[in-house]
Amino acid sequence: MTGLPGTGVGPLLLHALRCGGWAGVARLAVAGGLDESTVESELIDLAVAGLVTYMSDGFNVWGLTDAGRAANAERITAELESTGARPAVSAAFERFLVLNPELLDLCAAWQLRPVDGVMTANDHADPSYDARVLGRFADLDRRATVVCAELSAALPRFGRYRVRLSEALDRAGSGELEYLTDGTASYHAVWAELHEDLLATLGIPR
Amino acid sequence: MRWIRPLSAQVEEGAELLGAKAHGLVALHRLGLPVPAGFVVTTEACRAFLREGRLPGGLDEELATALAGLEAATGRRFGGAGTPLAVSVRSGASVSMPGMLNTVLNLGLTTGATAGLAAETGDAGFALDSRLRFLSTFASAITGTDVAGLAAQDGEARLADAIEAVQELARLRGRPIPDDAGRQLVLAVGTVFSSWDTPRARTYRELHDIPHDLGTAAIVQTMVYGNRDEHSGTGVAFSRDPNTGENIPYGDVLFGRQGEDVVSGRSPTRPLRELAGREPAVWAALSDALDRVEEHYRDACYVEFTFEAGKLWILQVRPGAVVGGAAVRVATELADERLISRREALLRVSPEHLRHVRTPRMALSARDDIVARGVGACPGVASGRIATTTDAAVRMSADGPVILVRPETSPHDMRGLAAASGIVTARGGPASHAAVVARAMGKPAVVGVTGLVVGAASVSAGGRALGEGTLVTIDGTGGEVALGSPRITTDGAGAHLRRLLAWADDVSGDHSERDETQRLTAARAALRHDEPPGRHR
Repeated sequence: MTGLPGTGVGPLLLHALRCGGWAGVARLAVAGGLDESTVESELIDLAVAGLVTYMSDGFNVWGLTDAGRAANAERITAELESTGARPAVSAAFERFLVLNPELLDLCAAWQLRPVDGVMTANDHADPSYDARVLGRFADLDRRATVVCAELSAALPRFGRYRVRLSEALDRAGSGELEYLTDGTASYHAVWAELHEDLLATLGIPR
Repeated sequence: MRWIRPLSAQVEEGAELLGAKAHGLVALHRLGLPVPAGFVVTTEACRAFLREGRLPGGLDEELATALAGLEAATGRRFGGAGTPLAVSVRSGASVSMPGMLNTVLNLGLTTGATAGLAAETGDAGFALDSRLRFLSTFASAITGTDVAGLAAQDGEARLADAIEAVQELARLRGRPIPDDAGRQLVLAVGTVFSSWDTPRARTYRELHDIPHDLGTAAIVQTMVYGNRDEHSGTGVAFSRDPNTGENIPYGDVLFGRQGEDVVSGRSPTRPLRELAGREPAVWAALSDALDRVEEHYRDACYVEFTFEAGKLWILQVRPGAVVGGAAVRVATELADERLISRREALLRVSPEHLRHVRTPRMALSARDDIVARGVGACPGVASGRIATTTDAAVRMSADGPVILVRPETSPHDMRGLAAASGIVTARGGPASHAAVVARAMGKPAVVGVTGLVVGAASVSAGGRALGEGTLVTIDGTGGEVALGSPRITTDGAGAHLRRLLAWADDVSGDHSERDETQRLTAARAALRHDEPPGRHR
């Protein structure tokens, strides 16, 4: 793509910021499967090109400028059309939309459960309830695997989501409970990024 | 009939066979309240459908017979070109599975029947709007996706376009919608039954300990049109305020629209009390109905209603459904009113309700200005200045607390969500992205505020504009958004709770100094010990 500094990492980072919102170097490295020093030097180049900006307000995060957003949109559209991936991505998006409400139900069930008819914060003191919710997460994840495979067959860059979703689920399964709904590496957060990516890729406004 | 029961006062069977919704409609009939004529296809038929993968033998004939009965009762023809009969087909299991199962409205409005309805009413726009509603709800149900985005069109030409678009969508998905009323009905009943077994519904049942083999009933009722004219509409009503427990009807009404619009939260609603001014006869009938269902169930109740051309119809009733401090107040006052005994009041308030009594709430008075209302998604109260973007939230939070107000949230809003003290979104329910993140962060949140429009540097709600920086307070339990900073209380049920606990001490015989939960638990244990099992719900 013209006007972008050129290792291929730049466009990847722009797209990660487009889908995941403001993010620090460490998170971008995980999202892109890159090492942090590569990410950092690339971000500086992108900033010089006016495509990203740094927010030193205590969050220490990077985000897209309007120019960066436009450059990303142009590239993503060109990629979709030149690879002929639109029909496959559209079809996968429809299947994603069937799973999406169930995933959100599961996140809500992880956080809240009815006790005597009252929705109450899940204090995770009942391992059998947590195991049941986790079991349903795993079941949904198996069905999501099919959608993820369709997506990465159409556009290989979607492959990172499968890796990140599995990692979040594995960590939650081994006792790091925050990896389901809390924080930017949680299953919910990665899923929301995938949702945003599909909207961005297909050019569907929120 | 084997698979079908009429909705009438004479039906003796219980909710296991009829589903809770139809069972409630039978109760309404017994109370002499206005319920649209109809019948219910039982959960047993659903179980047969799930077992065999098709509707049970003989059901087609029973449906035709039952519909002939409806035609005779209403003097209308199902799918007919003159005075057409249209029906709703609604799911209704014996346990509540909110939003999981399908509903189809205005079924039977074929091309010919729609023309007939237009001729009968002299209102082609109304007839087309009704047909579009039928096709949208039906297409959503048979394709398993939400095609409601195509609804809500104005103007006959645009309605006709939207009608064509929905049909095309159903064809593309390989599920064309037949233009024959009888076939529509058979397909709709099968679709409602199938919705019992979607992966999402299965997950819901796994999480809530609901057996998979219960099945749902399908309720078929004569359609009443809340979109008929300016004296029509639809709404939901609680017999007592579910936020406070106060004994005044509470709810939402939507003038000139059909049922799903209120429940889905797609359209801005008006407070229920506006019904009293605009349709006094409907209001009087509704107030009377709320009194009668309370007396019958001996509990606060929730009803869904529609009014068509000034006549009220009740579509659903459900007892209970108040929690926390409101549950304390309702139980105490029901005992004062002698609808229940003091002992029963104690059994109705669980220790879990007490835990929620102390959640901070806005103590609203008549002076307070509620600018918007949504669904509470994370309990607690937060005050702050309105920020409409993540950038503004981060910037403004340096100078004090902010409330982030967004149409909905996405990963782009994470910094704003982190910076804000509370969150408000126009769209989405208690499982939306904003709700999930708010709970993860422990921040009060109100979601699904219908009619809230978020602009560049201001928001508007209920026709009022509020600039960025305006101080508001949100209550993540009741879902209110109030201007300024109303008083906050952690003792909303105060006097009622003290009285209830005094009754508890009388029952347990223990007047020593203990915490509230211990006092209640001791009384409940004593009561359960005294009473024969099964006397209380």
